[in-house]
Amino acid sequence: MIVPLTHVLAFSGALFFLGLACVLARRNLIMILIGVEIMINGAGLALAGGSAFWQNIDGQILVILLMALTSAEVSISLAMVVYLQRRRGTLEANAYNEMHG
Amino acid sequence: MATILFYILGFTALAATLLCITRRNPVHAIIYLVNALFALALLFYLLGAPLVAAWEVIIYAGAIMVLFLFIIMMLELAPDQEIKGPGWLRWGPVLLLSLVLLACTVLLMVADPGSSQEVPAYYASPRTFGYALFKQYALAVEIVSFQLLFAAVGAYYVGRPEQRKKPKGGTP
Amino acid sequence: MNPNLLFLILLLPLCGALINGLFGLRLPRALRGAVAVGAVAASFASVCLLWPLAAGEGTRTILGTWLASGNLRADFGLLFDPLSAAMALMVTGVSTLIHLYAVGYMHKEADTARFFALLNLFVFAMLCIVLADNLLLLFLGWEGVGFCSYGLIGFWYAKVENAAAGRKAFLVTRVGDVFFAIALLWLFAALGQLGIPEINALAPQLSPTAVTAIALLLLAGACGKSAQLPLMTWLPDAMAGPTPVSALIHAATMVTAGVYLLCRLFPLVSLSPTAMTAIALVGAVTALYAASCALAQREIKRVLAYSTMSQIGYMFIGVGAGTVSGAMFHLTTHAFFKALLFMGAGCVIHLCHEENDIYRMGGVARRSPLVFALFLAGALCLAGLPFSGGFFSKDGILLAAYAQGDGWFRLIWLLGLASALLTSLYSFRLLLLVFAGEPREKVHKHHLPGLMRWTLPPLALLGLFGGLFNLPPAYGGGERLHHWLGSLAGSLPVVDHAREFQLAALAGGLFLLGAVIAWWRYRRFPGEQPSALKNFLLHGWQADAVVEWSLLKPFRAIGRFFWEGLDRTLIEGVLHTLAGGAMREGETLRRWTNGRLSTYLSGFAWGLLALLLWFLLVLAKSAGPPHT
Repeated sequence: MIVPLTHVLAFSGALFFLGLACVLARRNLIMILIGVEIMINGAGLALAGGSAFWQNIDGQILVILLMALTSAEVSISLAMVVYLQRRRGTLEANAYNEMHG
Repeated sequence: MATILFYILGFTALAATLLCITRRNPVHAIIYLVNALFALALLFYLLGAPLVAAWEVIIYAGAIMVLFLFIIMMLELAPDQEIKGPGWLRWGPVLLLSLVLLACTVLLMVADPGSSQEVPAYYASPRTFGYALFKQYALAVEIVSFQLLFAAVGAYYVGRPEQRKKPKGGTP
Repeated sequence: MNPNLLFLILLLPLCGALINGLFGLRLPRALRGAVAVGAVAASFASVCLLWPLAAGEGTRTILGTWLASGNLRADFGLLFDPLSAAMALMVTGVSTLIHLYAVGYMHKEADTARFFALLNLFVFAMLCIVLADNLLLLFLGWEGVGFCSYGLIGFWYAKVENAAAGRKAFLVTRVGDVFFAIALLWLFAALGQLGIPEINALAPQLSPTAVTAIALLLLAGACGKSAQLPLMTWLPDAMAGPTPVSALIHAATMVTAGVYLLCRLFPLVSLSPTAMTAIALVGAVTALYAASCALAQREIKRVLAYSTMSQIGYMFIGVGAGTVSGAMFHLTTHAFFKALLFMGAGCVIHLCHEENDIYRMGGVARRSPLVFALFLAGALCLAGLPFSGGFFSKDGILLAAYAQGDGWFRLIWLLGLASALLTSLYSFRLLLLVFAGEPREKVHKHHLPGLMRWTLPPLALLGLFGGLFNLPPAYGGGERLHHWLGSLAGSLPVVDHAREFQLAALAGGLFLLGAVIAWWRYRRFPGEQPSALKNFLLHGWQADAVVEWSLLKPFRAIGRFFWEGLDRTLIEGVLHTLAGGAMREGETLRRWTNGRLSTYLSGFAWGLLALLLWFLLVLAKSAGPPHT
């Protein structure tokens, strides 16, 4: 009995949208990935809060699985960042626009 | 007591995240993010998930963020790899959008009458957690382990040395 | 005698036209002319041989049905009655002589196949007009002569002026044709008939206003073809065509088609006194107008063109005064001496090394006495030498106008007298300037082809002695033409013989007066003395300018408005705005697919916003209006 669920979810939402702001506003690929991490963490907080609210452990298990998947995703994406830096020499997101119309 | 702590930690996390996303130097950003993750881990503990809190620190802050740091340092990114653009021209619309989104989300949340209830105290011991994980979610565990294998193989492949003059090392 | 042989009259020239048109280029030169002359000569022979069929009521035959739909029934039918027979005889006879002349005239020309084909086709179309028994076939011939006239005036189309003259002739006569077509449709709508005898018989059934209106419409149509006011601007320019064309089309045949139409439908037209007066008035004013213009012309053929216009005005006076036989008489004699004059003018031009301007000619009499004699004969007939054919015919018309009494016809009679004086004046002017005195330009020896010389004497004889066709009783004649035409002849003026002789003497006096004035002024070449009056008359009282300013300029302005104003600005402008707008919007949207990650991520965020707003909206709606 600590806080209303709304507050937990508000924090989680704020974290999520901060992460979204980072993804949208930053041009460096690494910063975009960091933004994604922040968003995932926000989601994790919401999951944990829900798990406590409904007295269910499933939420926490989801957080664990989320962490595991995140680590897998990060390793591949950072490997790709390295590759891109080697090939193109720049990590600016707007430099990779060969799919333009 | 826990309530006050909750709010302090929550705002710490938010402040740290805010600082993180506005740093020019990626290393600084990572450090601030680690800070936020620590606050988040304590929040998890307050919400009755001690194991998750521990893992947050070990895996997330300890492995993933360290990996980020490794890669940043390996790539030798100069701090001015950022576009020097007018700050508010880029940040302004984004923050506005985020605020609007946040407002919508909050509105949606408060519209539900049941949401103003308080989160009851909860505690999930590692034993309960273990049982649940390996009994109910055993299949998920196996799948995630496959996933990790794929990721490892994929990361190696993507980052393999070039078959040219100077093979730069680059596998995690 | 089989009535169906009548179709030979029509079909022989048509065959000649087809042969020359389709195979002419493969035939040897001599054969082309021979085919053309032979076709028309055979047609003339047919008219002569079949002459007895035309007596009394005439003969009516049908070759086949053309249109039969509902009430409308128009056949390929011929009506060979005294009027049409007389006209056909004149047309084919004069055409034969002119075709012979043309063979000689065009001996240096390369494209004789087209020329003779068009000439024969023209004769066919003219005969359609003359012999048709229903208005639709007549209209076919009417349009046909218009087309052939266009083709022949612009025969040397390589020169832009010639093509423009042909086009002008076609367009101006077309205006008249529209009125004729309206009259035709009106007649069909009112009477349900298109046959000429039927229309003439049923004409009294129409209301007086309808008759007047139809008659005026027919007058308008006739004005177009016969180059009367106000549709006369094409005739002087039509002299750009070869001389045989001018002789045939613009002297003897096509321009008389208007008169012939009015004579054909005389029972209908004569029912309306207003229309008759209008016809005579148009003719009288045109006669005076054209005679005054002829006084100032410099080109020899233009003098003759205005002269034709003036003489046809006389024929209109005749029709308006009620004497069809008088009008037809003048038509016939005029055909003779005007064709003679045109062909003579062709000879003169040839002799003067293709020179057209009479101010630069002179002394041609010495170079070729034969041409001089023939031209003199024609000019004297035109001016009204007493006891020549032209004298009797013109006098007959003036008598008819006089006999109609006071009021408008007195004015018409006076205008006719004034025109007679001017006619004499310009005829003698022409004679003196061309033939008398010393040559004003260098003389080249030119040989005149025999065909050009020896086709003229028959016409001269016919012109001089043509009075015998219709000698009035006052002189002891039998008025053959009038009696031949029988019921179609219209009324003859009833004037006592003493009066008649006085009027004849008046006419003779005018002839002499004109000759004396001309002699006094043009005995020695007075030199070029341009004056404003001369310029005004030279340009036909600036009729072309009037048409240009009143009709053509507004027309072009309207056209330009519709083109630039509406079509370009409005329609294309709208299209361009729409298309351009679409393209610009497309360009704007294209910027969204710039391949940049940040753009696509923003897209995600905006989509998320839309979703959230949607949910809020749904929530608000479900919770909203019934406020608890």
